[in-house]
Amino acid sequence: MDNKIRLPEKVMAFAHLELQKISDEVEGIKAVVLATEDGFDVASVVRDGSDPSRIAAMASSISAISTVVSEEANLGQSKNIIINTVSGFAVMQSIVRDDARLVLNAIANEKAVLAHVLYRTSHFANSLTTL
Amino acid sequence: MNEYKILFTGTMGAGKTTAIGSVSEAAPIVTDVANTDLSLGKERTTVGLDYGLLTLANGDRVRLFGTPGQQRFNFLWKILSKSALGLIILIDNSRPDPLTDLVVYLDGFAEDLSTLPCAIGIGRLDTHPMPTLEDYMDILANRNQLFPILSVDVRRREDVVLLIDTLLAQLEANTFGA
Repeated sequence: MDNKIRLPEKVMAFAHLELQKISDEVEGIKAVVLATEDGFDVASVVRDGSDPSRIAAMASSISAISTVVSEEANLGQSKNIIINTVSGFAVMQSIVRDDARLVLNAIANEKAVLAHVLYRTSHFANSLTTL
Repeated sequence: MNEYKILFTGTMGAGKTTAIGSVSEAAPIVTDVANTDLSLGKERTTVGLDYGLLTLANGDRVRLFGTPGQQRFNFLWKILSKSALGLIILIDNSRPDPLTDLVVYLDGFAEDLSTLPCAIGIGRLDTHPMPTLEDYMDILANRNQLFPILSVDVRRREDVVLLIDTLLAQLEANTFGA
């Protein structure tokens, strides 16, 4: 697939480095995947054998549906989505750059602390937005 | 009054969002985003679902759902087909291999199509006359499947209503299923 998204090299380098750090430093992280809003993975670190392309596609759908929900409810632009389960959680963090709209996905098991993951994913989003 | 749920699926660019929008009496719910796939010449693409509502002349209400076309979203195909009473497959005849496109959706919804009625709409036949409707019928015949195939322009409300009527007629006549 030839993708229209061409993120600057420094952005890609930051993304690869930071995803690796999130994966290494946050206990319980199973996968972190940076994806385009139409569901293509552009950078990822996966520990559990998950398919990044599949995570990217699912995150794209969930983000789009959550955007419609937030618009219908007049809640403004969706910032993130959390799927909290009995054995972990998934966080989908929206990232809006001038040149691309992206979604960062973090999949974590029950050992992870939600607030910790939210802090890291939102910090990643802020950094990537301004880079 | 009956309530129906109908699912639109088919290739990206075949007009699923347009079809639902052209017949929905309420503003359709659309989950399209900027398309970044250069192999597909399209500005925006559905990545979640489309939704619209149509009330028929007899008072029956049809809830119209649309799937994303790309196979990477096939997890949604299964979710959206739950409790659907029929399937409409839209194919874009201007694509490189539309016959294979049809097979993708016949396979992707094989379980549903063993019990549900289906209508197939072929778009852009006026500008891309090959393959013909007969070629599509041959594909179905080789699979022992029998579904109506229509040439459609989904921008035209009457074409979309005809597809829906064709589907509902099968439901009423109980003339579907493998």
